[in-house]
Amino acid sequence: MNTMQVSFGEKKDNAAQAEHAVKMSARDVKVFYGDNEALHGINMDILENEVIAFIGPSGCGKSTFLRCLNRMNDTIDTARVTGLVTLDGKDIYDRSLDVVQLRAQVGMVFQKPNPFPKSIFENIAYGPRLHGLVDNKRDLDEVVESSLRRAGLWDEVKDRLEAPGTGLSGGQQQRLCIARAIAVSPEVILMDEPCSALDPIATSIIEELIDELKGSYTIAIVTHNMQQAARVSDKTAFFHLGNLVELNDTREIFTNPQDSRTEDYITGRFG
Amino acid sequence: MTPSDSEQTKTQQPDLMDLAQKRDLMQQRVAASLKRRHASEKRFRLYGMAAVTVALSFVAILFITILSKGLPAFWQATLTLDVYFDPEIIEIDEKPVRQPGESDGAFQQRMLAWQTDLGFVNFNRIILNSLAEVLPEAPRYQRDAMRLVTSGERFGLRQLVEDNPAIVGQTLRLKLLADANVDVWLKGNIDRSLPDSQQQLSARTRAWADELAERGIIRNQFSTALFMNADSRSSLASAGLAGAFMGSLMMMLIVMFLAVPVGVASAIYLEEFAPKNRLTDLIEVNINNLAAVPSIVFGLLGASVFILWFKLPLSAPIVGGLVLSLMTLPTVIIATRSTLKAIPPSIRQAALGIGASKVQSVFHHVLPLAIPGILTGSILGVAQALGEAAPLLLIGMSSFVASVPGSPFDQSTALPVQIYLWQGNELRNFFEARTSAAIIVLLALMISLNALAIWLRRHFETRW
Amino acid sequence: MSTQRIDGHISQRFDEEMEGIVSDLLAMGELVTEQTESALFAFIRGDVALAQDVISKDTRINELELEIDDHCIQILARRQPAAGDLRAVVAIMKAIKDLERIGDQAKRIARIAVKLADADERYQKQYGEFELIGSHVISMLQNTLQAFREMDADKALAAALQDKSIDSDYEAILRQNMTYMMEDPRNITRIVEMTWVGRAIERIGDHARNVCEYTIYLVQGLDVRHKDDDQLQAIVQSRPKR
Repeated sequence: MNTMQVSFGEKKDNAAQAEHAVKMSARDVKVFYGDNEALHGINMDILENEVIAFIGPSGCGKSTFLRCLNRMNDTIDTARVTGLVTLDGKDIYDRSLDVVQLRAQVGMVFQKPNPFPKSIFENIAYGPRLHGLVDNKRDLDEVVESSLRRAGLWDEVKDRLEAPGTGLSGGQQQRLCIARAIAVSPEVILMDEPCSALDPIATSIIEELIDELKGSYTIAIVTHNMQQAARVSDKTAFFHLGNLVELNDTREIFTNPQDSRTEDYITGRFG
Repeated sequence: MTPSDSEQTKTQQPDLMDLAQKRDLMQQRVAASLKRRHASEKRFRLYGMAAVTVALSFVAILFITILSKGLPAFWQATLTLDVYFDPEIIEIDEKPVRQPGESDGAFQQRMLAWQTDLGFVNFNRIILNSLAEVLPEAPRYQRDAMRLVTSGERFGLRQLVEDNPAIVGQTLRLKLLADANVDVWLKGNIDRSLPDSQQQLSARTRAWADELAERGIIRNQFSTALFMNADSRSSLASAGLAGAFMGSLMMMLIVMFLAVPVGVASAIYLEEFAPKNRLTDLIEVNINNLAAVPSIVFGLLGASVFILWFKLPLSAPIVGGLVLSLMTLPTVIIATRSTLKAIPPSIRQAALGIGASKVQSVFHHVLPLAIPGILTGSILGVAQALGEAAPLLLIGMSSFVASVPGSPFDQSTALPVQIYLWQGNELRNFFEARTSAAIIVLLALMISLNALAIWLRRHFETRW
Repeated sequence: MSTQRIDGHISQRFDEEMEGIVSDLLAMGELVTEQTESALFAFIRGDVALAQDVISKDTRINELELEIDDHCIQILARRQPAAGDLRAVVAIMKAIKDLERIGDQAKRIARIAVKLADADERYQKQYGEFELIGSHVISMLQNTLQAFREMDADKALAAALQDKSIDSDYEAILRQNMTYMMEDPRNITRIVEMTWVGRAIERIGDHARNVCEYTIYLVQGLDVRHKDDDQLQAIVQSRPKR
C-alpha cells in the first residue's frame, strides 16, 4: 500500500500503456525558425484513443509541436524540424512518406473556424473526393452524412446542405471543420485551440464532441484554457520556453503537479 | 504575503476626498479641452470636404470642357444633293466578271485595268453638276464651288460606282460632307468679321455656304465619318478614328492575352510557390521598380528589341501591344500578388490540413477567391495601357496612317496617339473639337472597361 | 521543498482571498486551542465561571466554521483553483470541520467541569494525569497550527506523531480510573465523567492529527488518511523533494 502510493505516477503510466498502444511518438524533436530554436528536444508518446492536451504560456512551443505531428511546419519556409516523429512506428519525416497521405491520417482543426467558402456539402465532400475515397455520389452522400452526424451537426444542417458553410454560427463552423477532418477517416486529430473563438456554450458542445470522438480517434489539443484541458483531456503536457516540462495524467497535473513551473502556471502565478 | 504587505496596499489607496476633488478637476479639464477638440475635428472635416470639392470641381471642369468642345464634333455640316451619275462623264466598260476557265492572274489584271479606268473619271465634275442644280452660278466659279464639298467625297462616289456600276445613269440623293472650313464657318468657330485675307474661304464660298445652310441643303448631321474613316490629311472633314480605334483594340487584345496570363501566372508562382530567398527578394524589388519606370522607357526598349532586333514592322499594333504588355506586366503582378496576400491563410491551412497538395490548395481554394481582385487589377492595368501614348511614339505609331489596319502587323496608330496628332493639326478651328471628340471616345472606352471591372468583381464576389 | 505557498498569483485579489481563508483558519485554530486550554483548566481547577465562558464561546467557533466554509466555496466557484491552491482550499474545508469538532469536545469538557465543580478538595490529586495529557494535547494543537501556518509537511508529520503519546496518556487515565472505581464504588459516577473528559481529549488529539494529515495533503499532494504512524512517516519522508 505504502509503496504503491509513492510510485503512484509511474504505476498509472504503465497501466495506461497496457491499455493503449503508442499511436504517435516524438524523440528529441527540435524545431528551428531560421537560427532560432523554438523547441528544445521534445520526447513524448501519444497513446491511441486518448485525448492529450498541450498547455503552456504563449510562445511556449505547444502549437509548434502540434504542427510537427502532421508536418504543417513544412509550409513555413524557414522552419526546420530535427529528431524523430513516428506514427504507428513509422517515421513521418521519412522521404518515402508522402505528406499528403500523412495529413489524411493526421487531420487538423484550427484555431479560427475556417470552412471553405463553399456549400456545407462541398466542405465535407472535398477531402474524400480529393483522396478518391468514394466511387459514386451515393457513397459521397453517405460519407457527408455520417461525418456530419459524428460531428453532431447533421440535424442542424441536413435541410440546407447547399447553403454556404460560412453562413453557419462560429460553433457550427468549427463542428463543420471537425466533420471535414473526420470525413477523410483520420487516425489522429490535431486541434489547435479549437474553442478560442467560441462562446462558452459552443465550447462545451465541442468539448462534448471531443469526448465522444476519443473512442475512435486519438486527439491532441492545444488550449489556452486550462479548465478546458482539465475537462477534456486524459493526459496533459505542459510546455514552457520550448521545453516539455511535465507530462502526466490530467488528474495529477491539476491536483498535484510535480514541477513548480507547472504549478505556478496552472495556479495563475505566471503566464 | 505577510500582514504588513496587505496594510501597505490599503495605505496605497488614495484618500476618497482627494479622489473626488481630483475627478472634479479632471472633468473640468476634459470639458475645457472638449471645445478645442470638437473644433479641430470640425476643421479637419472641412479641410477634407474642401479637398474633395476641389478635386471634384476639376473633374467637372475637365468633363464640361471636353464635352462642350467635343460633342459638336459628332455632328458635321453635310450637303444633301441629288447626284446624277452622268454616263457621259463616267465612260467606262462593264465591270469585268470572272470567265470560266480564266486564271486568277488574268482576272486580277483585267480588274486592275478597269479600276484604273475608273480612277481617270472626273468625279469632281459630277459633284460640280450636282452643285449647279442648287447653285446655278457654280459652274462659273468652279474653284469656289468645289471648296464647299470636302475633297474626299469624290473617292466616295468612285467607291459607289465600283461597288455597283449599275448606278451609272441614275440620280441618287446623297449626303456629301462639307469641307472642314465650311463646317468651321457655319459653326462660327472662326471670327466672321475677319477680313477676306485672313479667311480660309473666299467670300463667294462663304456666302454660298450661308445660303445653302439657310435653304436646308447644308445641315448638321451625325458624323459617321468620325467612326468609319481612318485619319486623313487631304480631306480633313472626313478624318476619322477607325484606324486608331482598331489599333488600340488590337493592342488591348494583345495586352489581355499576353500580359494578363503571364502576369497572373508569375504572381501566383512568386506568392504561393517560390521559396523566400535572396533571389526572389531581388525579383520582387525589381518588379516593384519596373512598375515605377516611366512608360517612355518601355517605348525605347520596344524600339530597340522588337523593331531593331526582332525586325518587327514599325508602327504595328503587334509591337505596340508587346511594349504595352511589358509595361502592364508589373501592374498585373503587383495587383495579383496583393490580392493573393489578402486571401486569409486559414483557407490554405484548411486545404493543406485535409491533405490537399500545395497546387491543389492554390487552384481549388485560393485562386477562386482571388479572381475578382485579379480581374479588377488586370482590367485596370489594361485600361492604363489603353491610355498610354508615350511609348507608342517611340515605336513609330505617331506617323500618319490613312488606313484601317487589317491585322496586328499592319501600320496603325492608337487612340491616344491620334489625339496627340489631331491636337497638333494646323486647322485648329476644326480639330479642336475633333480632338475632344476623340478624347470622349477614349474616355468612354476606359469607363466601360472600369465598369466591366466593377461588374466582374461584384459578380464573382456575390457568389459567396 | 516540503513547504507550500499560497501567494504570488498574478491576481492580487486571489492572493488576498487565499490569505484570508488561511488566516481565518489559524484564528479558528487558536480559538479552539484556547477553548481546550480553558476547558481543561476549568475542569482541573473546578472554575465554573471559566467553564461557562468556554461553553458560551463555542458558538463563535461554529460561526467561524460557516464563514470560512462560505469563503472557500466562493473561491472554488470564482477562481477555479488548481493544484496547490485547490489542495489548500480543500484542506481548509476539511480542517475547519475537525477544528469545529475540537471546539465541541472542549465544550463537553467544560460541561463536565461545571458538573464536577462542587467536588471535595480530596479529589484534586486524581487530576494529575489530566494535567499531563492536557499539556500534551495543547502542545500538539499548537504544533499542528504551527505546521499549517508554515505549510510545512515535516512539522505536520511531527505534530501528527504526537497523537500517539496522547493515546497512551488516555490508556493510563483509563487504567487509573479503573483503580479509583475499585477503591471506592461511591465514586463511580464521578469517575465515569472524568473518563469522558479523557475520551474527549483523546478525540481532540485525533482531530488534530486529521488537521496534520490535511496539511501534508496540502503541501505534498498526498492523501495520508487512514495510515498508521510508520506508514505516515515513510510516505512523507520518501516524497521526492522538489
